[in-house]
Amino acid sequence: MKSNKPLTEKESLDLITSMIQNAKASYHETGTNAILWGCVIAIASLLTYLSIELNFKLSFSPFLLTIIAIAFQIYISIKAAKESKVTKFEDAAINAVWLAFGISIMGLVLYLNIIPNSSIKLATQEGWQFTKHYLDANKPDEPLTPFAPSSYSLFILLYALPTFTTGIVKNYKPMIVGAILTYVLFIISCYTSTKYDMLAGTIAAISCWLIPGLILRRNYLQQKNSNV
Amino acid sequence: MFKDLDPILHSQLRLAIISLLIGVKEADFNFIKEKTKSTAGNLSVQIQKLKDAGYIEVTKQFKDNYPLTTCSITKQGVHAFEIYVKALQGYLHTDKN
Repeated sequence: MKSNKPLTEKESLDLITSMIQNAKASYHETGTNAILWGCVIAIASLLTYLSIELNFKLSFSPFLLTIIAIAFQIYISIKAAKESKVTKFEDAAINAVWLAFGISIMGLVLYLNIIPNSSIKLATQEGWQFTKHYLDANKPDEPLTPFAPSSYSLFILLYALPTFTTGIVKNYKPMIVGAILTYVLFIISCYTSTKYDMLAGTIAAISCWLIPGLILRRNYLQQKNSNV
Repeated sequence: MFKDLDPILHSQLRLAIISLLIGVKEADFNFIKEKTKSTAGNLSVQIQKLKDAGYIEVTKQFKDNYPLTTCSITKQGVHAFEIYVKALQGYLHTDKN
């Protein structure tokens, strides 16, 4: 491209349009993050469901897999940032949403771990306690450690948030559909026990992340191969 | 009465650079070189002219021991681009009449 070539008005507008299109077409999501989180959350939720359904005890919490996933995510994010030649405004916004999602998930885990003991402490200071009262009069009342019932529903609700935002910002229908389905699963999970909440979480992870991620990956590889 | 087209932008390569940068937060030198199909020397000169006009911001750093130049459009650059496009549209509209 020559710098001093005289341009007509039409050529100028054509050049502007083609460059804007060029910049838009330069970026392709690999789908790695979505596949990673889809697999991890689906496996963790499914294992938990199976352990309750088949009545076996796991020697570790399957959700500890998320720690490995976070470490892997940090690695691939650094690698992607190094390889990236261009940063779009929408990427910065989406990254902020996913960062807020990560913080919110950690916050929720913290809440669920802290609230039972701190609630007991506060109640004791006020001179009362949480008690389990059986409707069957044959059993005596027992002290109760408070807990958030069916708390996995809150996680399912959170799963939908960044997915819906990303789907709308990127105009990516599989994520929008996955997020809407996840909102529906959240509502259903409000009426079901923890066991089925885990099953709902599995379906949510597959529809929110795994399927959209696999579609992104397929498109990315097709694009990559066509450029070779 | 038409506005004069901004001479800084009314050049093929400089207009291509600004058009690329208008839609992104930032882009590195090699990306711009690849998309504009320009030579490194020519691109450097035009980037410097845009920087001198205050239309783009240029950051130089090192990545893996190699120099990395990153460019982003400034508010002044966005404003100049908008005026340029409006002026172009004005010309084209009059030609049709």
